[in-house]
Amino acid sequence: MTQVNNFMHPAAKMYAAEEKAGELDRREFISRATALGVSTVAAYGLLGLDAPAVAGGHAKMGGTIRMQMDVKAMKDPRTHDWTQISIFSAAWLEYLVEYNNDGSFTPMLLSSWEANSDATQYVLKIREGVKWNNGDDFTAEDVARNIIGWCDKSLEGNSMAGRMASLVDDATGLAREGAVVAVDASTVHLNLLQPDITIVPGMADYPAQIVHESFTVETMVSNPIGTGFMLPENLEVGVKASIVRNEGFDWWGYAAGKGGYVDRIEFIDYGSDPATHMAGFEAEEFDLNWESTGEFVELFDSLGLVKTQVASGATIVVRPNQDHAPYDNKMVRQALAMAVDNNVINELGNASLGVAADNCHVGPMHPEHNADVTRAPFDPVKAKELMDASGHGDFEHELRSLDTGFWKDTCDAVAAQLRDAGIKVKRTLMPGSTFWNDWTKFPYSATNWNHRPLGTQVLGLAYRSGEAWNEFAWSNAEFDGLLAEANSLANADKRRL
Amino acid sequence: MGTFILRRTGVMLLTAICLTFIVFIMTNLYPNLEKLAKNEGNFRMSDAEVASFLGNRGYTQRKLQNYGEWLGVLPGYVIEGSDGKTRGRCSNHGAIVEDAGRYCGVLQGDWGFSSRFKEPVSKIVITRLALTGKLMFWVLIVMVPGALLIGVMAGMREGSRLDRSLSTGAIVTTATPEYVSGVIFIAIFTSSAVGLKWFKGSATSAMENATFENFLLPVLTIAIYGMGYIARMTRASMAEVMTAQYIRTARLKGVSFANIVLKHALRNALIAPFTVIMLQIPWLLNGVVIVEVLFNFKGFGWVLVQAASNNDIDLLLAVSVVGVVVVLLTQLMSDIGYVFLNPRIRIT
Repeated sequence: MTQVNNFMHPAAKMYAAEEKAGELDRREFISRATALGVSTVAAYGLLGLDAPAVAGGHAKMGGTIRMQMDVKAMKDPRTHDWTQISIFSAAWLEYLVEYNNDGSFTPMLLSSWEANSDATQYVLKIREGVKWNNGDDFTAEDVARNIIGWCDKSLEGNSMAGRMASLVDDATGLAREGAVVAVDASTVHLNLLQPDITIVPGMADYPAQIVHESFTVETMVSNPIGTGFMLPENLEVGVKASIVRNEGFDWWGYAAGKGGYVDRIEFIDYGSDPATHMAGFEAEEFDLNWESTGEFVELFDSLGLVKTQVASGATIVVRPNQDHAPYDNKMVRQALAMAVDNNVINELGNASLGVAADNCHVGPMHPEHNADVTRAPFDPVKAKELMDASGHGDFEHELRSLDTGFWKDTCDAVAAQLRDAGIKVKRTLMPGSTFWNDWTKFPYSATNWNHRPLGTQVLGLAYRSGEAWNEFAWSNAEFDGLLAEANSLANADKRRL
Repeated sequence: MGTFILRRTGVMLLTAICLTFIVFIMTNLYPNLEKLAKNEGNFRMSDAEVASFLGNRGYTQRKLQNYGEWLGVLPGYVIEGSDGKTRGRCSNHGAIVEDAGRYCGVLQGDWGFSSRFKEPVSKIVITRLALTGKLMFWVLIVMVPGALLIGVMAGMREGSRLDRSLSTGAIVTTATPEYVSGVIFIAIFTSSAVGLKWFKGSATSAMENATFENFLLPVLTIAIYGMGYIARMTRASMAEVMTAQYIRTARLKGVSFANIVLKHALRNALIAPFTVIMLQIPWLLNGVVIVEVLFNFKGFGWVLVQAASNNDIDLLLAVSVVGVVVVLLTQLMSDIGYVFLNPRIRIT
């Protein structure tokens, strides 16, 4: 993983100083600096460290992996709403940028990128020598076309438009004139409306797969043109799918040391019930499962399986929606928060496997996390007083959740604690097929949120006024202003929440 | 006989039309369409996006128009969408294909396109029905002889110790639903927690390569449930026959007990269970839904669950037609079979 890139962003040096002064943790520093275009090696160098050696020297070529995973129907990558869809298409569709588990961003189809000092302009350099598997050259035109496609708000369900918001013209719902420019065969310029350090992290998110100009949804599996080293072999939605090495294709990644070890991956769908996954493991029908949650972590351990884990900001949010009475009343919301001890939730809902959160959506693994910001104190008595004082003491809350797994257990634990505090609450369980139809609109319900590299990304997706995924109906001009400021390059102290 | 079968076929068609119409109306209620749009598009779509998605794909036309298109009596829609793309029903709700016909309904032999599986409905139904057929075949092979044997043995000496113990067993298995017995089987015979690990608790690999090890438990789970019921019916029928005048006469004449049971009682005693077995087949389709999901065996029951939970309209309609055909066909077979077993009955 050698990057031919000596670019040094001025803010990166500032971050390095902050890291040394203890204002930034190392993970934050790496995320921030690499997002601006500093190479991983250089970023570690600024801290006086060597970049971690690439694991995989011991990896062998060849072999088949059988994996338990939901097999879903293919759709336009921009509209992918489940990571599983992208995992399959990632066989032949690749990303510009890769997000690693040390928090760094490394180039894939790009060879490097640079941001100007206030992060309003980015220069993307295209990796040399990359070819599409139909023989075409991969050029700056391809990158520009894909980025412009990401900005298209008229495509139903295109979540990339939100990540590219600083390139989009609000009037037309398309990329602004001159926002994305292919300067020459290997360079693309991005001209942003406002400073935005989340744009490169956005390119590493799972819907950001790069497609060929001939791409259509209907033919994406039957005619899989991409830059990746594998090809789809078959796809039976809900049953099984497999991808195989594209023999004879000279993938750029072999020379660049990006891996490409396995010959074949089979994905087998076992539905959503972890008990069935367990039976599959016991029957030795697959080698690897998609995820292990709650009590099943321990059960899988007991089968003698090898566990891989990474600290992430994936979490569950049990929230009221302010568009519904009585949750427009601040005292009611505070009472609900104060009546619940998150340690108990972690124990009952997640088998004590996580870390109790402080009722804010930015955790210790996020660069911006500030340990001094704590939650409203856990105080059931005060909670009941607040609830009574708000005039809704007798209101029966209805807490909705999915009917399985940690969603159900977590909400049951929340409801029990509310009842202990003397607040009336009713539980409603819904199957996934109906729950997700209205998940942003329920008065009081629970949602799981995936990890995102930067805390401000989560805040932008979930809490900015009018945002599609703002399930809290949180609308606060002051917050929006602060968030925009945080996404520019002010130093760490100012960026804290 | 000919007119009888014709009449039954007529009833079958009428039932299928009524049922599909009801299913059609239900699946086309707006909340269901919304679910469909979110499953196909992106499940975090806004209301406006849902509306344009549905409008572009002809879901918001008049219901009768859509039903007519499905039947094939009206030409399939061709709509130029708000995004500038033209889509048509006969092009699988996607961009217009050159050789797509004007009509593409059931009458033209086109059962539609599954929104969940992105494949022609007819292909899915055939593949999955074949898998369920395999499961059902083995279930019947285990269940029918087993049930008849238990029923005959219990019924030949009513009130004996053998009768009491077999009857109790039959009641226990009938009273244990599949989702209980299946889970118990998996826990005892497949898990490392108990440690027996004799069989496989997942029948996924049985779809391609069924072995005794991976296929026994799902078969047994369904068979045991149905077995008790049929055994009880057989026992009642056998017990009744054993008290008949001609059996007493045979005994008085000194015919051996084995000969009485096998030569004289059995044929008459099997008339009632035959009907029950036939009526049990549609019931088994019920149990198949649970067992297929439990053992991750992707057959017809699993398709039904998938179609319903994703509001896959074309697939649900085809599934209900298959349901109607299976129910009425088994009834027809039981009626005709009855004639052969019981000469006193005539079909006109």
